[in-house]
Formats: sequence, structure tokens, C-alpha cells
Amino acid sequence: MFLNSWSIALLICGVLVLFLLGLAARSAVRVLLFWDPDSDSNRQIRLENEIWLTSTLVECGLGVQIVSLVVFVLAADYFSQSIVGAMCATGSLLANDFGIPALIVKIGGVFFYGFWIVLHQLDIRSPKYPLVRLKYVYLLLLMPLVVLDLALEIVYIAGLTPEIITSCCAVVFGDAVGGGTNLLSGLTHGMSLLLFYGSALLLLAVGVVLLKTPRPWLSLVFGCLWLGFFILALMTVTTVFSSYIYAMPYHKCPFCLLKPEYQYIGFAIYAALFGGTFMGTSVVVAEPLRSMEGMGDVVSGYRKKAVGVALLFLILFSVLSSYHYVRYLIVGGEG
Amino acid sequence: MLIELEGVTKIYNQGQINEVVALRDIDLRIKEHTLNCLRGASGCGKSTLLSIIGCVIQPTSGRTAIAGLQPARMPDRFLTVHRRRCIGFIFQNYNILPALTVRENITLPLVPLGLSRRAMAERVERLLQQFSIGHRGNFPAGRISGGELQRVAIARALVNDPPPSSWQTNPRPISTAV
Amino acid sequence: MNGGLTKHLNIIDYTLSSLWRRRARNASVLIVFAGVIFLVASFQFVTEALTETALDSLRTAPEITIQRLSAGRQTEVPLDYGEQVASIHGVREVVPRIWGYYFDEVTGANLTVIGVDLERMPLGEKLNLTLAEGEVPEPGASGWVLVGRSIKRIVESKGTAYLSLFRPDLSQASYAITGVFDAVTDVLTNDLIVMDIGDARDLFHISPAAATDLCVYVANLEEVPNIARKIAAALPDARVLTRSQISQTYQVVFGWRSGFASVCLLTALAAFVIFAWDKASGLSPEERREITILKILGWETSDILAVRFWEGALVAGGAFIAGCTGAYIHVAYFDASLFRSVMVGWSVIHPSLRLVPSLQVSTLLLIFCFTVLPYMAATVIPAWRSAIVPTDSALSGM
Ligand SMILES: Nc1ncnc2c1ncn2[C@@H]1O[C@H](COP(=O)(O)OP(=O)(O)O)[C@@H](O)[C@H]1O
Ligand SMILES: [Mg+2]
Repeated sequence: MFLNSWSIALLICGVLVLFLLGLAARSAVRVLLFWDPDSDSNRQIRLENEIWLTSTLVECGLGVQIVSLVVFVLAADYFSQSIVGAMCATGSLLANDFGIPALIVKIGGVFFYGFWIVLHQLDIRSPKYPLVRLKYVYLLLLMPLVVLDLALEIVYIAGLTPEIITSCCAVVFGDAVGGGTNLLSGLTHGMSLLLFYGSALLLLAVGVVLLKTPRPWLSLVFGCLWLGFFILALMTVTTVFSSYIYAMPYHKCPFCLLKPEYQYIGFAIYAALFGGTFMGTSVVVAEPLRSMEGMGDVVSGYRKKAVGVALLFLILFSVLSSYHYVRYLIVGGEG
Repeated sequence: MLIELEGVTKIYNQGQINEVVALRDIDLRIKEHTLNCLRGASGCGKSTLLSIIGCVIQPTSGRTAIAGLQPARMPDRFLTVHRRRCIGFIFQNYNILPALTVRENITLPLVPLGLSRRAMAERVERLLQQFSIGHRGNFPAGRISGGELQRVAIARALVNDPPPSSWQTNPRPISTAV
Repeated sequence: MNGGLTKHLNIIDYTLSSLWRRRARNASVLIVFAGVIFLVASFQFVTEALTETALDSLRTAPEITIQRLSAGRQTEVPLDYGEQVASIHGVREVVPRIWGYYFDEVTGANLTVIGVDLERMPLGEKLNLTLAEGEVPEPGASGWVLVGRSIKRIVESKGTAYLSLFRPDLSQASYAITGVFDAVTDVLTNDLIVMDIGDARDLFHISPAAATDLCVYVANLEEVPNIARKIAAALPDARVLTRSQISQTYQVVFGWRSGFASVCLLTALAAFVIFAWDKASGLSPEERREITILKILGWETSDILAVRFWEGALVAGGAFIAGCTGAYIHVAYFDASLFRSVMVGWSVIHPSLRLVPSLQVSTLLLIFCFTVLPYMAATVIPAWRSAIVPTDSALSGM
């Protein structure tokens, strides 16, 4: 199904990211080959200028990648109208083997391009540019991800045909009521809520301690906790919170949240979750750089900021995602 | 010491046929709160020296310390930050942007400092009054007289409260006649 | 952090004044860009509105429609087929329907005639909701018609309140217009005549024991594919259409058309991107001088890049708003008249169709992807080129 606006928009985004990061990779090769901080030859001055080009290109690429993630989910939602059995994005993403991998790689892209920008921001704070080599090697390592992203997208769209029969979100995420396959069974309602709020509180506590008494290992714990919380939060939103937002006990779906019927609340929820997870895990990326010359203060400053922002996002996410649930508890079903 | 140069040498286009040795082995020390004048024949290297003091270009060799910073081999970005904190420029031809108003021209160095709009306006207003060009504030800089232009250039050089000032003017006093 | 924010505000201030100073050049980019966005957005709005209306009207259509094929062409379905189908488990109701086309020689229009059995049709009362004026008569009445707006206009221009049609033997039949369909459903009802099924049989000379198709209503929607399969097995010469098949066909056809048109529009876009690149990369000596002076005065490379970014964002944002607003007006109030000749299929079938584009965030996002993103990507390198103008080129004036 290439010939429709959504597929074309996705391809445009994919090609733009490839173009922008490809250009960035070109200057990465030059920088890695010729970088010489002690020289003031014309070439070195050109390379120093190219650092700005690279960072602008990657920032732009990240922006396009975020847009493309949103477009991908909305496109899947659109495809569901022409696929038998699909009611929303869940169905179309499961319509062939490449939907979910494409989504995961896209999300990974957002995080890994973002980490590059964190490295860059840390790097240019120190007059020696100590991370130049590291960040350009990392940039080159990103290229396979970019290509994989585009390739998965193309294979996914190519594999979509209206004749496919797939399952809708009610079957995939529903309780065992209908007897259908259940992806996330095994936890009761109360258990998952306990786990969710428990780990949110733990995360908050670790974050506050980290702000007060910074320790390298604590940063590591903080980042890993965020990663775990990310997955847990996605599951809890899907299996518990979403049905309160839909006000339908058997409607459990992570994607329908993004629809206009629910005031696009999904965008706010996921933005807060992704923002928090990104800031939280970026602490782990920054931490090992402390030992490098001239980076101690820079990294400490960044960690303070990142942990603070991550905690803000955590609170925002918890409030947004549990709002409908809490309202249901207080006002009741009809409220 | 505000400005210290030791053995500063600047060679343009080193190693090429059009190589120019603009400065050779310059030592220079300048104290705070002094007014200094640099004289010399045309092409002897005055501008080059002032550019090095102003952190616009880097010496080929030698040590410099300008308002506490040792800028040898530092990326452009850090020189720029230093420049906008500590150094004001007045060019021979003033380098005022003719399409902008007098006020906008004087504000330019303040824009990247992240000052609030009020703080910027206050500083600029003070300088406009001090150099008695307040009545020309909203004129395009291309439409005012040479003497006023010179005062705009000086006001712009002082607006970021720079410790040293690389003034390079014709050796005549700041004109007060309009 | 706070300083960073005010710094950006200051830079935006500066950008605005610099955009204004070079208004002639920026306006040319803005106008061309707005034009491109206008085209893309109009097209998107039109397809969206068409698909929306078509799918909407399908919602009240029967779950399964049965037709009979003979020699590969559609013929009458005998009513006893209906009894056979009604005996299948899970079928709620089987209602005969006449669906035909009437060629009006005077106006040259091909009108759609639907004969319904008001007594047996589920959701019959819903028909009232689609009417702008008048109402559906009581079941059992005959001699009435409900018509679309363009037919109403033709009849009114003749100065009567009756619609006259000719039977195959050229005898005349007259019907009283008791209701007119709402403009919102124009895409389907503009040329539509709904009448009693008995009148329709009489008009087309169809035997009382037959219909053109049978509408099958099913109790449990989950069972539709299953029941459709059973019907197909029981009636080998029948064509069985489910609602979702029809809607998917619509979807694919509309999607394909808009996709194809998008590809064409991409050419216009590519031309624009080249234009934008060209405009952005040509640095005039004054601009070079301005950037050099700014850098000497303490602007970093990244500050100049920020100016360039805001310049692009403001131009693109302005063009986006202007283009989308223009497109909305074009589609909603001028019936996408610029596209009339392009969209042959639709314009011939529906001569005076009212399109009501629904402004959805997702549509705007699509238009954004088609226009603003490529523009931004195309201006990165020119912006960077202008930001790295070396500072010492201003020193000649020292
Ligand atoms: N960018 C440059 N590239 C090559 N040569 C230069 C450059 N700038 C200045 N020069 C040369 O360096 C010498 C000193 O120039 P300058 O410092 O401008 O002299 P002054 O300002 O005292 O007249 C001159 O011979 C000039 O031609
Ligand atoms: Mg000179």
C-alpha cells in the first residue's frame, strides 16, 4: 500500500532522516580522519565549523524522526480502515511481521539520535572538545539504525495488503473474557497498579537522593530504573489506565489513546513518558564521561538538570495517566 | 595586568608563496584603566595586533592573556563568548549596519547575552544620552552624520561594559560638533 | 537556563526585524511556498472530505448485499432467494431493494433510483434524519419520492411540484416530492431518487416477485463474514457483498487516487525545494557583512544558526497557515474548483457537490510532512554556510 498519502509521508520522513544523517556522517568521516586540535590550518578551522553543521543536521534529523514516529502510528491507524479485522493501529501493526519491529526501531531512533545531541552539548561546553572522536564514532554507528529504520518501514508498508486478516486491540490486549490470545495476562489489576505506583515512588526517591548526594553508581541505578519503569508504564497504561480513559472496561489499547475522541490525551501521556525516560537514561550516557579531562563539572551540571527534568516528567506522566482512573474512583462511572 | 602578550608572532598563509609575517615576537603589557594608542605606518601590523587582542584571530605562536583568559588554540565558540563579555570594537569605518536604526545597532552586542528586554533598553538609553544621540535613536544608521556615526560606534563598543576597548580611530578627539 | 530563554526571545526579535528588512525576498519565498502548501492541502482536504462522506453514508447500509449474476452481468434476484437466506442462522432480516439508474434525456443526467420497502427496512425511520426538508411518508403509501437537491432544482425550474419520469414503454409516471436530502450527504444523494419499492417495480417494469438486490441484516456483526460465506455457498449464482468489502474498496480507491496525486504534487514540491535552496544559499555582500559584524560583536555560530532557523520557521509557519486557510476556503466555499478538471471521476458523477472538509490534526500533520519538513531539510546547509562566514573578513575595515 504505497500509493496513499500516509505511506508517502512516511517515506518522505524516512528519506529526509537518511539524507540529513547521511550528510552528517560524511562530515563525521572527515572529522575522524583529519581532526587535529593543535593545528590552526585551514582544514582544522573548516572541521571546527563542520561541527556546527553536524549538530544542526542531527538536531533536524531528530526533529524529523519524532514527527515520523507520530506519523507512523497515525498511518497504522489509517491503514486499519482498509485491513480486515483491524480497528486501530494495533491491528495494522500486527498485520505482518515488520510492524512492531519498525515501531521499536523508530522509538530507538528517537532515543539514540537524542543521545548524540546530549554528547554534543556536553562536548561543546569544554574548550578542548574532548568528545569529538567519541561522538563522531557514535554518529557513524547510528547509520545502520537509520537504514534499518527506513528498510523496515518499506518492508512493512509493502507487506500490507487489504486481504490480510488481523486482530483488533480487543483481542490482543483484552482480558481472557473472549477466550482470545492475551498478550499481557498474568497480573491482576491491583497487582499491576501497586507495581506501577511503587516503582514510580522508588524512582522519585532515587532521583531526589541523586540530586542531594550524587554517586556514579546511583546514576546507573536511576537510568536502569527508568528503563524498567518505561516498559512497566507502557504495560500499565495499556492494561489498566486505558480502559478508564475509554470508559469501556474491555477496551484496552495503547494506540486508541491518540485519537481525537479522547482529546489526544495519548500524545501528552506518551510525550511525558518518553521525555522522562530519555532524560533519565541520558544520565547513564553522561556519567562515564566524568572521568575525562575537563568534563567533571560539565557532567555534574548536566546530571543535575537531567535528573530534575526527568522527575518533573515522571510526576507529569503519573498525573496524566492516572487522572481518569482517579476520577473514576472519586466520581464513579458516569462522571 | 589586563592584556599580556609574550612573543606573539602572526604569519598569514604560512608555507605558501604569499606568506606574510605580519607580527614578529611582540611583547606587550597593558594595565587596567589606561588609555593607549598604537601608531605605525600603514601595513605594519596594527590591525593584526588588535585582532589578536580582540580574540578575533589567533597568533601563530606566542602566549596571550586577555582579561584573564588565555585564548591560545581555543575553539571559536569560546573566543566569541569571551569577546562579547569583555571586548568592544570600534572600526576605522565603524562597521555600523546602515539598515538598522541607531538603537538597534547599539543593542546588537547585547542580544546573545540573554538580558531581558528592559535591561537592554536601559543600557542602550543610558549610552544614547551619554553620547547625546538620543534624538537619533530611531533613525536608520545610514541616515545620520559622520560624527554621530562615530558616537554610535563608540556607544556600541561600550554597551557590554567591556574592560578593555580596542579603539582604532583616526587620531582626532571624539567630535562633539554635529 | 532562564538566560537561554530570553536570549532566544531576543534572537526572535532580531529575526523578525531582519525578515522585515528583506521583506521583498522573503515575501517571494513565502508566496511560492504558500502556493505549494495550498495545492497539497486542497488535495488532501478534498480526498478526506470525499472518503469521509462516502464512508459515513455506508454506515447505514446493510451488512450484506446480494445480487444475481447472469452471463457475468447483474440481473433481477427472485424474492424466493430471500426466503432461502432468511433461513440461515444469524440472519435478522432480508429486505428486497430496487437499485437502478434512470437516464434523463432532457438534462442528460444519470439519476440513481432506489426503491425501498419502508415497512420492512430496518433503520427506515433513520431516513428522516437525512432530510433537509419534508419527511418520509407512512409505510404503505405510494406515489411519493425523496430527492437530492439537484433534482429538486430541476423540478422547480419547470415550475411544478411533481417529478415526472418515463417507463420503458414511454408512458409517464408522476411522483409528489415529499422530502429533499440534506446537503451534507450530497456526495451520494445529489442525484438520488428514493421511492416506494412498488413504484420502482412499476417504473422499471420489474416483476413483483423480483428485485435488483436483497439487503441482508445480521444480528451479530462478528458473524458477517461467516454468513456471507454460507450465502455464497447456498446461492451459486449470487454475488455477495459485505459492507466492509465495499468500504475497503472505497478506501483503497480514494487512497490510491490521493496517493497518485500526491506523487504528482511532489514534483511541484521538488521544484519548490530547489527554489528554496537557491534563495537561501545566495548570500548578498550586505548579508555577509552583517553576519561578520554580528560575529565580531559576540554572536556565536550557533546564534546565527538560530536566526536562520527562526527565519525558516517563521516563513514556513506563515506559509503553512496561509496555504491551509486558503485551501480550506477553496474546498469548502469554492468546491475545490481548481481541481475540477483534474478529478474527472468525481466531478462527472457529482456535478455540484458540497465538500465539507473536517479539520483534523492528522491531516494537518500530513500536509506538514509533505511541505514544511522538506523545506527545513533543504535550508540546513545554506543556513550553515551563511553562519560560518569567517570573522576576519570584516577586519579589512580596521
Ligand atoms: N587576512 C590576511 N591574509 C594575508 N595577509 C594579510 C591579511 N591581513 C593582513 N595581511 C597583511 O599583513 C600585514 C599587516 O596588515 P594590518 O595588520 O592590516 O596592517 P595595519 O592595520 O597596520 O595597516 C599587511 O602586509 C597585510 O597585507
Ligand atoms: Mg589597519
